[in-house]
Amino acid sequence: MRSRSDRLFLLSLLPPAATIVAAMMLMIYVFVYHSVPVLVREGLTFFASSRWSPSTSLRSAFYGILPAIYGTLVTSGIAVAIALPLSLSMTLFLNEVAPPRIRAFFSTLVDMMAGLPTIVYGLWGLFVLAPLLQRLVMEPLHRYLGFLPLFSCPPISGYSVLTAGVILAIMVMPYTFALMNEAYASIPLTYREAVLAMGASRYEASRILLSMIRPAIVGSVLLGLGRAASETVAVTLVIGNTPTISPCLFSSGYTIASLIATQYGEAPLYPFMVSALYGAGLFLLVLGLALNTVGLALVTRWRVRMGVSA
Amino acid sequence: MDRGAIAFAAMVVIVVVAAALNGYRHYEELLQQYTHIHHVEAAIVGGASSSGSRVLLQGAGATFPLPQLLEWIRLFMETHPHIVVSYRGVGSGAGQSMFFERTIDFAGSDPPLTHRQWLEYRGLVMQVPYLLGAVVVTYNLPGFHGTLNLSGRVLALIYSGKIVYWDDPRIQRLNPGYRFPHKPIVVVYRADASGTQYIFTLFLHKSAPRLWPWSLVSKVPKYPVMASGRARGGKGNPGVAQIVLSTPYSIGFVEWGYALEKHMPIAAIENSAGVFVKPSIESIEAAAREAFKHLPKDPRADFSDDLTYIVYAPGRESYPIASWTHLILWTRYPCTKARALAQFLTWIAEEGYRHMVPGYAPIPEPMRGLLLKAAHIIVEGCVRG
Amino acid sequence: MSLRRKLIDRAFVAVIALLSAVGIAPLFYILTTVAIRGAEAIARVGLWRFLTSIPPAPGTHGLGGIGPALAGTLILTALSTLIGVPISIGVALLVVEFPNLFVSRAVRALSKTFMEIPTILLSMLVYTLLVVPMHTPSAIAGALALSLVMIPYTTTYLETYLESVPPIYREAGYAIGMTKAGVALRVVMGIARKGVLLGIVMGVARALGETAPLLFTAGGSHYAYPTSLTGPVDSITLLIFDFAMTPYTNLIQVAWGAALVLVAMYLAIFLAIKLLVKEVRT
Repeated sequence: MRSRSDRLFLLSLLPPAATIVAAMMLMIYVFVYHSVPVLVREGLTFFASSRWSPSTSLRSAFYGILPAIYGTLVTSGIAVAIALPLSLSMTLFLNEVAPPRIRAFFSTLVDMMAGLPTIVYGLWGLFVLAPLLQRLVMEPLHRYLGFLPLFSCPPISGYSVLTAGVILAIMVMPYTFALMNEAYASIPLTYREAVLAMGASRYEASRILLSMIRPAIVGSVLLGLGRAASETVAVTLVIGNTPTISPCLFSSGYTIASLIATQYGEAPLYPFMVSALYGAGLFLLVLGLALNTVGLALVTRWRVRMGVSA
Repeated sequence: MDRGAIAFAAMVVIVVVAAALNGYRHYEELLQQYTHIHHVEAAIVGGASSSGSRVLLQGAGATFPLPQLLEWIRLFMETHPHIVVSYRGVGSGAGQSMFFERTIDFAGSDPPLTHRQWLEYRGLVMQVPYLLGAVVVTYNLPGFHGTLNLSGRVLALIYSGKIVYWDDPRIQRLNPGYRFPHKPIVVVYRADASGTQYIFTLFLHKSAPRLWPWSLVSKVPKYPVMASGRARGGKGNPGVAQIVLSTPYSIGFVEWGYALEKHMPIAAIENSAGVFVKPSIESIEAAAREAFKHLPKDPRADFSDDLTYIVYAPGRESYPIASWTHLILWTRYPCTKARALAQFLTWIAEEGYRHMVPGYAPIPEPMRGLLLKAAHIIVEGCVRG
Repeated sequence: MSLRRKLIDRAFVAVIALLSAVGIAPLFYILTTVAIRGAEAIARVGLWRFLTSIPPAPGTHGLGGIGPALAGTLILTALSTLIGVPISIGVALLVVEFPNLFVSRAVRALSKTFMEIPTILLSMLVYTLLVVPMHTPSAIAGALALSLVMIPYTTTYLETYLESVPPIYREAGYAIGMTKAGVALRVVMGIARKGVLLGIVMGVARALGETAPLLFTAGGSHYAYPTSLTGPVDSITLLIFDFAMTPYTNLIQVAWGAALVLVAMYLAIFLAIKLLVKEVRT
């Protein structure tokens, strides 16, 4: 029943919502507007080419963002591949094993990680993580398992796709954890009681309950991918920023975000480069939208199915 | 699908279509802009807005001069408390574009304005090369002590992949006292679009034009040696330095200041007079002194090829891979800002060059007249406000 | 339980405990590194001087301080909170209290999409929309860009906490004749208040720690205190970013010191909220 007061309430909540909608529309407009020039010039090869040749001469200028797309997908993939088992473990640990005091302490720590300023991650990644990974992980792997294409390039410096992936994993993990934890913890008590009543061990209970939140897990994976894809500063500092596509984890590369961050300073000097950067940004926007929509839909559908929340 | 969804989708479609249509028009405008020259007619009075009781001077642009500019700004503000100067290192391109959009008062740019840009803004802008730096060649040769001698020709051969080993006779000949090992050279370059790289390749071209054609002079050249597998790209000076420091038998190029700070070995390069010179304030200034003979003496003139004079400059003392960076200014500003800006420029010319940060060299005396002339023009032509 | 099941169970617990430790370890490593290197830097100058004086000349041995950057960060954080929090609360309430409207679902999806956008693009957007017409970078522009980053995070947190209030409390409110607004604002927000405050704090923390949105919008000098909201302003994050990329050891040390200050500010806000606000048990 919608009374007048309720209607007024709704109306008062519309301006903030309208602001968000307006901001998004503006964003779409600005991005599409600025992407058109490079897309008209290069068509779909913009996304498919590795050639990035800035030039003041119109004839030789060409911008291909394939390496950036590749790097974004690879680093996000590594990030989620690392963050997923960690988040799952932490979820299970907190909900099945840990006593309540540790539970509170632990989730406080994770919340803390989630909000830590990203530049601190970047600074640490640049000066501590990169050399550490190079010495302890990359060099040994290259020496002993260098025949595998994943480890085939010599790690010249710690600034690589792998380092970027690791730092992204550390940054993304609090988010995937929060989502999974919330999903797991909100499995209605009845299911949990039923499982325990059957005499399941913690391992068996976990498996059963986990299978119930599968859509939420997938959803949080997608959201984590999206989050990893858009991180700018920390990645720019450790990824090496070269237009390379290589199966080797130790090579440097680009992500769309780091491409924009590193090239924007010089871009106005080159015809159509600014447009190219907006085009790359547009791609990321669309990718993020897609990942997000699917991820959110999965999580919502799961919630509905579980009968969780109003 | 409820009505809300349809409305929303329609909104998005309308926005996208509007953006696309206008974007296409934008594309055509850009093409026009890049193929024709439109001289800007309106008399532009430069400068971003000001605030408070203090005069605000805002600059942005090249990252190369950042440490030196920050030091000058700090000292200048100490003795001129009513003026606040700020400079952000966003890159020469972003600096230029912010300058032309009038969101900042002056820009720092490693490259001068192109001939086309100068024609468009003729009479409205000024350029002043105001700070010298150098690109140095650094290397990692275990067991080598002393100074490595290299020439542009040998470097061109190395970066083309034609010289493969350290003990190549062409390198040996330049360094008779040392027995080089038979090791392949790891060649390091800048993976990002870099002014330093442009200067380095310009040097290769000027010193060995038949080995290094003009097409390979660029901020992001396609080095022939890349195909050999012995080449490594580093991001920024730190990237290149890191690779050279950690890879034995490697060679690379970085900004002078960077090599000094990190205590990296610096090679002596053969200049156009045949002398092997290491970078120093004297040798860099010598190059600038020679180059200045060919430069216009009025900051409103066209400086678009000024770098070609300083790189591989004549003179026995000149360091061959020196370069300068520019300030880009309007000719007219509101009077309060004009006076403050003129004070800053004059201060640099008369006082600033006594406080140099390692890695930078002051422009020689004769060149400082450009700064003073620019200050004069700004004050003379100032607009009330 | 059979031995086999018991062993699997034990192994399972060991594995997840180990992985959980691995997951949380980086936090300690990072905090320790920042604490040590930052303290080293600050100790050389003294805390008060570090917080109020200006940075040193590059390449020298002095260390100076981060005064202007600190002032800028405080201004930017305050402004962006002012802009972002009301919008976040409004959106979260809309989404949770009127979940079936298309507007709600759309806005929910949209605000999450903003999270996907590389922060540097937001900087480009605000530059075009605000900095160019104003002819100057400014605290307002920087704060606007920051709030665009903050809003999705705060909204998500708020949505989660507001939603987790069991329906029974709402129904109780309606049962005694409260309006939707009353229930939402007094009952639901009241119960979830720890979560709401936490959500706001998370957003503030995000704004505090961002760099890229400020690159083309804030524009301030590291060496001069800001004078007005419509003028340029520096921030600790920009200072760290600039200094970390120089080769000068003294500037890099200042960067670590600045990072410690930043982390300390973040932790102070975070822990204060966690400890002070009492949670309502449901």
